[in-house]
Amino acid sequence: MSRLLRRIGRSLAFVVLIFWSLFPLYWALKTSLSTNAAAEQTPVQYWITHPTIVSYQAIFGGGPESADAAGGISRALINVVVEATGATILTLVIAVLAAYAFARLRFRLKNVVFYAVIATLTLPVYATLIPLYRIMSDLGLVNTYIGIILVYTSGFLPLALWIMYNVFMSLPFSIEEAARIDGASTMQAFYRVVLPTARPGIAATAIVTFLFGWGQFIFPLVLSSSSSTEPLTVLLAAIDSRNVPYTIINAAAIVAVAIPALIVFFLNRWIVTGITAGSVK
Amino acid sequence: MSTPERAVITGDDPAVAARSVSTSSRARRRSPRRRDRVRGGRAGSDGALPYLLVAPLVVFIGALAIYPTVLTAVEAFFRIDPLTPPTAFTGFGNFSAIFSNNQVRQSIENTGWYILFGVILTVAIGTAIGLLLQRPFRGRGIVLAIVVLPWALPGVVEGVIWSWIYNPTFGVLDSVLKSLHLIGSYQLFIGTHQVETIFLIALVQAWQITPLAALIVLAALQTIPDELYESAAVDGASPWRRVRSITLPLIRPALAIATVEALVMSLNIFDQVYVLNANATTGASIMSTTYFITFQDLNFGQGYALSLLATVATVLISVGVVKLLYRKVDYQ
Repeated sequence: MSRLLRRIGRSLAFVVLIFWSLFPLYWALKTSLSTNAAAEQTPVQYWITHPTIVSYQAIFGGGPESADAAGGISRALINVVVEATGATILTLVIAVLAAYAFARLRFRLKNVVFYAVIATLTLPVYATLIPLYRIMSDLGLVNTYIGIILVYTSGFLPLALWIMYNVFMSLPFSIEEAARIDGASTMQAFYRVVLPTARPGIAATAIVTFLFGWGQFIFPLVLSSSSSTEPLTVLLAAIDSRNVPYTIINAAAIVAVAIPALIVFFLNRWIVTGITAGSVK
Repeated sequence: MSTPERAVITGDDPAVAARSVSTSSRARRRSPRRRDRVRGGRAGSDGALPYLLVAPLVVFIGALAIYPTVLTAVEAFFRIDPLTPPTAFTGFGNFSAIFSNNQVRQSIENTGWYILFGVILTVAIGTAIGLLLQRPFRGRGIVLAIVVLPWALPGVVEGVIWSWIYNPTFGVLDSVLKSLHLIGSYQLFIGTHQVETIFLIALVQAWQITPLAALIVLAALQTIPDELYESAAVDGASPWRRVRSITLPLIRPALAIATVEALVMSLNIFDQVYVLNANATTGASIMSTTYFITFQDLNFGQGYALSLLATVATVLISVGVVKLLYRKVDYQ
């Protein structure tokens, strides 16, 4: 009897857990597929009776409903793709090379530099936000892709370095040594032997970095709020306070969550790799 | 930046390692020097190569993380107002100005509430999820993906999604509460009462960051040897007793990490506040107040002073909590 009760309790807990994780997303999806009249019905309808994609047509153009306020959404989508991808590539290249040096090579001030970089992880947004705005305006990099990518990269590097450092430390040194004995230089051994072995760790770092880039808000709010460079997050926060139909706002929200959601469901394994890479003993 | 704190790194959390860099022997043991002995033969260094490999990193971190931080610490003592130059040294002028500013004082109080709700919700729900997923079962992978999902989504977008849930005219929360007869008529949830507003905004952030706490706890749970539970079961310990006497003490370090993460993220809450509260004082956080003082009122000097205080508070609180709670566990 108590066994049965425990099983029922456990199942109930799973239902609550899945409801907690998914209901807000379901609700946004449901609203985005409703007509305005259906979305504004009281009391609410919990299920979609007549799904429609007019809100998505309004966002991506060609729809019957002209949505001037939502017009910038497809541009903002392009912006966030460019910025998150650019920052991910730059972060990975710099972090992988540096992490390799920290894990395998000897040089002066190694520990000091390593911990100075890792220590910047504790710095909150406050520490750098205002100076970065002033530095970027002095350099003329406000509202440019380059400016936002540079700032993202500086923020993402410490964590990427930490993960990649642990990845390299966990690889057996013998494989490189074999390559070196066969006459490869340090860099040849790095490219031909170490990098291929470290691929899962690199993928995990890339995914985590990309997700960070995709979700950034306060830095682009300050550094790139013109329509030519503003990412989806900044535009969405702006139209949320304007007089845009709720159906279109929710459709834009679904567009903004679609890519991270796909990453979580199809590349979950790599995110888990990120977890283990960071905790290698 | 705010994002690294969302890292899915468990066990050796880099932020925790960074916070205890100077004192922890654990951090020192993990130092890069450990590998050096492997490369016998040549004494000294590997020539110019390592410097070339590390140079881009040093330039980035130096120019865009360390230099700006130093700038914040220095400029907090200057009067900087782009509308009425010139810039002048004011000593603690900015600090006394922000402390006599009611908006700032209210935001400090509000942030205390954000921390209280944020830490309790995140750690409690995260631990519950971790315990629920402790044993392997069919479909755990997909459940784990569903659990991780809110963590991977942009905080602002989540704010937008929840603002529709909290909507006072067409919101699902009002509708549900009314059909359950818990409220008589539709309510304005955000912006009416201070504590209620803060709780509902903190809940949105908890929705996002709880997965991180759950993963941290889950990773710790999976290191507990099964034999401990088996021998406790043989001794006739009840399931609840097993959780209390075996699980909780052994996941203490993980709980410490999860607490620090939640604390730092609540202390820095911005995205959800920006969307749900805008610049009303009811639910303003220190971060949102700093933003509006600096970039709306263009009072850079006061913005710097508030930033410096918040930075120092973040670093001190997180180091303090790590020292207080973090102890290595021994399975004996």
